[in-house]
Amino acid sequence: MQTSYLIWIILIPLMGALLNTGFYFYHIKYKELPEKLFAIIGTVTPFIAFLITLNLFFKLLDGSANLEQTMFQWLDVDGLSIEMKFLGDKLSIFMAMFVTFVGWLIHIYAVGYMKGDKGFGKFFAYFNLFLASMLILVLADNPIILFIGWEGVGVCSYLLISFHYTDGNNVMAGNKAFIVNRVGDLGFILGVITLFFALDKTGISFSSMEAYIDVADNDLLILSGFLLFVGAMGKSAQVPLYVWLPDAMAGPTPISALIHAATMVTAGIYMVARFHFLYSSVEEIGLFIAYIGAISALFAAVIATRQQDIKKILAYSTMSQLGYMFIGVGLGFYSSGLFHVFTHAFFKAMLFMGAGGAILALHHEQNIFKMAQHRKKLPIISATFLIGVIAISGIPPFSGFFSKDAILAASFQSGEYLIWGMGMFTAFLTAFYMFRLYFIVFVAPNGKEEEYTYTEKTITFPLVVLAIGAIGAGFLNFPAIFGGSAFIDTWLAQLNSVELHMSHTTEYTLMFASIAVAAAGIYVAYKKYAKCDVFKPESEEGIIANKFYVDEIYDVLFVKSLKKLSNFFVHTVDDKIIDGLLMTVCKEFITIGKKLAIIQNANVRFYAFYMLAGMSAVSLYLYITLIGH
Amino acid sequence: MNETNLLSFIIFLPAIVGFVLMISTTKIEDVRNIAFITTIVTLILVLKIYINFEPKAEMQFVTNIPWITEYGINYYIGVDGFSLTILMLIAILIPTSYLLLWEGRTKGYWINMLLIQTGVTGTLLSLDIILFYFFWETMLLPIFLIIGIYGSGNKVFSTIKVTIYTMAGSLLMFVAILYLGVSFFNEFGTWSFQYNDLTKLTQISYSERIWLFLAFVTAFAIKIPLFPFHTWITDTYSDAPTGGVFLLSSIMAKLGVYAVVRFLIPIFPGLFIEFSDIFVFIGLFGLIYFGIAALMQDDIKRMFAYSSASHLSLIAAGIFSLNSFGINGALYLVIAHAIATGGLFLLIGFLHDQTGFKSIKQLGGIAKQAPIFTFMFAIMLFSNIGLPGTNGFVSELLIIFGIYEFNHTMGYISAVTVLIAASFMLWMFQRAILQERVGEVLKMRDLRLKEIFGLAPWVIIIFLMGIYPDPFIDKFEPAVVHYINDILKIGAIK
Repeated sequence: MQTSYLIWIILIPLMGALLNTGFYFYHIKYKELPEKLFAIIGTVTPFIAFLITLNLFFKLLDGSANLEQTMFQWLDVDGLSIEMKFLGDKLSIFMAMFVTFVGWLIHIYAVGYMKGDKGFGKFFAYFNLFLASMLILVLADNPIILFIGWEGVGVCSYLLISFHYTDGNNVMAGNKAFIVNRVGDLGFILGVITLFFALDKTGISFSSMEAYIDVADNDLLILSGFLLFVGAMGKSAQVPLYVWLPDAMAGPTPISALIHAATMVTAGIYMVARFHFLYSSVEEIGLFIAYIGAISALFAAVIATRQQDIKKILAYSTMSQLGYMFIGVGLGFYSSGLFHVFTHAFFKAMLFMGAGGAILALHHEQNIFKMAQHRKKLPIISATFLIGVIAISGIPPFSGFFSKDAILAASFQSGEYLIWGMGMFTAFLTAFYMFRLYFIVFVAPNGKEEEYTYTEKTITFPLVVLAIGAIGAGFLNFPAIFGGSAFIDTWLAQLNSVELHMSHTTEYTLMFASIAVAAAGIYVAYKKYAKCDVFKPESEEGIIANKFYVDEIYDVLFVKSLKKLSNFFVHTVDDKIIDGLLMTVCKEFITIGKKLAIIQNANVRFYAFYMLAGMSAVSLYLYITLIGH
Repeated sequence: MNETNLLSFIIFLPAIVGFVLMISTTKIEDVRNIAFITTIVTLILVLKIYINFEPKAEMQFVTNIPWITEYGINYYIGVDGFSLTILMLIAILIPTSYLLLWEGRTKGYWINMLLIQTGVTGTLLSLDIILFYFFWETMLLPIFLIIGIYGSGNKVFSTIKVTIYTMAGSLLMFVAILYLGVSFFNEFGTWSFQYNDLTKLTQISYSERIWLFLAFVTAFAIKIPLFPFHTWITDTYSDAPTGGVFLLSSIMAKLGVYAVVRFLIPIFPGLFIEFSDIFVFIGLFGLIYFGIAALMQDDIKRMFAYSSASHLSLIAAGIFSLNSFGINGALYLVIAHAIATGGLFLLIGFLHDQTGFKSIKQLGGIAKQAPIFTFMFAIMLFSNIGLPGTNGFVSELLIIFGIYEFNHTMGYISAVTVLIAASFMLWMFQRAILQERVGEVLKMRDLRLKEIFGLAPWVIIIFLMGIYPDPFIDKFEPAVVHYINDILKIGAIK
């Protein structure tokens, strides 16, 4: 069904970005403008986008057909016909709903967090631009337009990570995020091209690709499925392209909450779900995805247990949770994977925002032990943080339990017991490191009288709203076993997800097992950290605390060797070989010239000799040609 | 004005004004203003052509009058979809760049700039290969003077290096041109050097073809430049004044590619199809080689010299893939690259002018002092690394499609373009512009309104062509289709 609303979901945040850019330049060039102006533009535009999305959601709920909006023909060259077209089906509206909603809350949070920053206006311009790009990604009707959004969020991520650009390290982190993401993008674009040609150039919109998927050669489908997933590895920070995410924490905390936890990093899962028709037909790649997910989940969880920077711990936990989502979508349980995306957005955004609030109150201290030493009373922040920690640890009835348990059950049902085992162990570690974090920062005694610190309303309001979501979001997909209607599974029926069907006893046993491991994790963390001495931080030595030295290995493998190669090309190949050869030719030319110059020596005897030689030669020639015959 | 003479007027107006300036006024402001007005008039005339141009494949606005009748050499000019796009580009870029060239403090500088414009436009519009050669050489002389007189550093050496390099290529080409002419006379009994006549040659043996082909290829490969004929660019770009670098990189380098499309491929279609593997490979090799070489350059202009070469190699690879995606993409990149790199060179010239530095290590902390400058710089940079929403993205996308269709493996290799430029550009951006400088803070004023107006059309084109590419592609797509269907395929059968 054609609609004219879809584009406005994107255009309104985009206009916010343009307005904020314009005002910001006015602000720095001519007259200072109040922060309120930027804040209002910045927060109202996402809210309007949310309202429009909500309206479309209700339309779909009423049983309306998929919504479409064609803007114009973007490109049309030799069978490659790309339309600037947006698609509002149940999947994209589902994503757009929580992107705009959580996005809006984080925009409000940022008003308080960024207060007094010189680049306040610029921050909101970038933030709105990010939201617009993310919505292009979500609502795109074909992979090329999706890619525009995909790269757009990457750029915004770069701009926001290096927001305080005067410090070279921040920019370095931004560069790293950008380049590693581009490695993924390389895979993505090649995946799209491979698929396009594998389908005999029949069309590039998702619907036409889905319709013609059967004509393609299976090997090419496997290849394109793999390449597209490389894109997801980059964007969703999976092994081996995850290295940018922990460094991305250099950006201000609202960015970490919005981009590096709730929305952008989930783009990879969304993309795999978008291409569900492809991944359902190549199960090998699906299994590969699930394994990469499981490895990433476990790997990140192991690293997180020994980190001391609060934001890095949360970053690794994000990577770990994204790993769960990939287990879900990889095994064909698309709606379970997306359900975890949904609940994760709430509790992870909240955790980041809580962490940000605490960091702000403690004068930008991020080391958990130091935070504990200078702890202040932050009742709302610590309460909501606890809710988030419980939710991510998988304790019922908080939202994280339902979504994570569905994925674990899915891996069990698929017979992938290794993945299930890794997932269970990760669940144990997750409960452990999250409660370690909580106990150290908010509980362990530091022997000081704590003073109460006022926290901005713009910071506490989103926290409270998200806390409600973190508790309640799980009920949206209340499993049938408890008499629920599994709303999200039904809503996303178009994805043809594999369904969970196991006996009730198995299901109860699995649930019990996952609660038990979570409880065990909490218990270990409690024993070890609830009463620990915060003035004696753990050592930062050892292979885990050093993140398995992956950054160092990458540095040697890629960065240093490339720099060497660069110097070799310039100084050896160009300067010595090519130019050296040319210069030798030129020099030889001069030498020969000098030698030839000897005969031009202004000596009459020599010239007389030349004349003699010349005359003799002519005579000889004449003699041979005329008389000789 | 008579429409048929419009093109000639566009070609010669700048040179005529230049010669008049030579003998008249000496006040530098007047000279600069007259030069600027001249280019604006040219722009208006080109716009008129652009509007009246029908999206058809054949040559339009043709003038064809005998010049040297004994040898059938004609003054033969015209415009089609290919050349129109580049003509438009030249006409827009030159006047706006004048608003940003602070270095033009003498009369001679502006006269040379005007002469170069005549040279490049003439080269672009010539359809007789002798006429083409005439203009091709004409543009060399003023560039020689501009680098030699107004350059910096080791400018004399650089001038001689670039001149001898290019001359060597040109001479080879000239011999090949004469050989073609004589062969035409031998086969048909009349003289002609018109591009469409020369394509009719059938009596040249295979080995002769190969030698002629190599002579042409060398000339164009030096100009573009392709590996391994590139070692002149770093010295030249580093020592040339901003205006010179801008013209060299944005416009003249493109003429090398254009000449391949206009003359070389139609005359030797069979050879091209036979050896296209090698050419695409050379293009891709250059893309990666120059990209890696750019990484460790400390002189910002040298870095951009390599970066430019890297992109031009990609353009060449796109053209040599000989399909619609590749050629359309390459033409699109010709425009995108001219704008982005041209803009960057102008901004670097400004930076150099203001701070006195062009070494990355010595720069830094610019963003804080000159936010609008940084904003413009970032947009040009993003277009250069092919971000979606900019024209660079559309072109890279099409070229990757084209090379993939040509050969899957090479298609995969070509996609590394999304990585290469990004890595050295962002690293440079970080060190030279963003992060705090070690030591004293550099003094730097931000762009003035006049300069912003100069760059504004470029920024608008970058985004317009990035967000809504279809109308732009439509202007030259018929020419590309005609080219592939009629010239290449039929030519290959012969």
